[in-house]
Amino acid sequence: MIDLAMHMMDIVQNSLRAGAGKIEIELLENSRDHTLQFRVKDDGSGMDGETVKKLGDPFFTTRTIRKVGLGVPFLKMTCEQAGGALSVFSEEGAGSVVEAVYRTDHPDCLPLGDIAGYLVLLLRANPEVHFRFTCRIDKAEFILDSDVLKEQQIELEHPQMLAAVKEYIRGNLREIYEKQPSRGFLCM
Amino acid sequence: MDGIKTLADLKKKQEEVRYRMSLRDRAEDPDSLVQVKVAMATCGIASGAKEVMEFFIEELDKRKIDAVVTQTGCMGYCFAEPTVEITLPGREPMVFGYVDTRKADAIIERYIKEGELVDGIIPRNYNTI
Repeated sequence: MIDLAMHMMDIVQNSLRAGAGKIEIELLENSRDHTLQFRVKDDGSGMDGETVKKLGDPFFTTRTIRKVGLGVPFLKMTCEQAGGALSVFSEEGAGSVVEAVYRTDHPDCLPLGDIAGYLVLLLRANPEVHFRFTCRIDKAEFILDSDVLKEQQIELEHPQMLAAVKEYIRGNLREIYEKQPSRGFLCM
Repeated sequence: MDGIKTLADLKKKQEEVRYRMSLRDRAEDPDSLVQVKVAMATCGIASGAKEVMEFFIEELDKRKIDAVVTQTGCMGYCFAEPTVEITLPGREPMVFGYVDTRKADAIIERYIKEGELVDGIIPRNYNTI
């Protein structure tokens, strides 16, 4: 995984497999203490304590098709390399929260990557799931809520709308990043 | 339109698109459509499945092929990612491995349009006892 957008897609797949109906994705950056918090919260099936303990183990997976499960271990690796930490909270039947903290002043902190591109693919491929994406840098904030898009009758089915929504997300993300002149993080 | 910044801009765009879409009605029966499933697990994402999926969505539309493009999990062929499963109407699903945009182009032109097989097929229909 070379950027946060890839991790986002990957971790959200876990929520989808847990049968989540609502998935909240957050990117919260705090320039004062130089941290970037990447958080995925779902209302899926959740895990018991034993399973949560095994998550960091690359040889643990619930799949039977292969013997490795690298999604969470990769996330743990990249945030720890950037001086951060990974925590997972989960309760059986209630859902899970995966939270990775990166130090933005660390040279190994991951770039954001194509967040907009991955988000629209997620929304399009899972129309029955309620997604809420929040990107906040200090006080500047952008929220994309799939229910709001539905209310406005935005249909991602059509490729031209897919491109339009992508542009909408990108434009807004760029705007809040431009208020933050110290960083040129957004790779697009 | 230059720049889409607000929900209102999006809505305006949607109206434009809807008008054009009504000219080309979508088939109701999903079995009559080509189904494209792009494997999007850790292995797929790391090998560039997103670019492949975007390519299929855009190109199938441009080439006027009615298709459903969606995501699936890992099919166990991590060595051959990105992998794509294609189901033509009335045919068995076929899995292609090592798909980049060039391969995806060949799959659309030769397999989806003509039904010819192209390189990179992963045999998956072995029945075990």
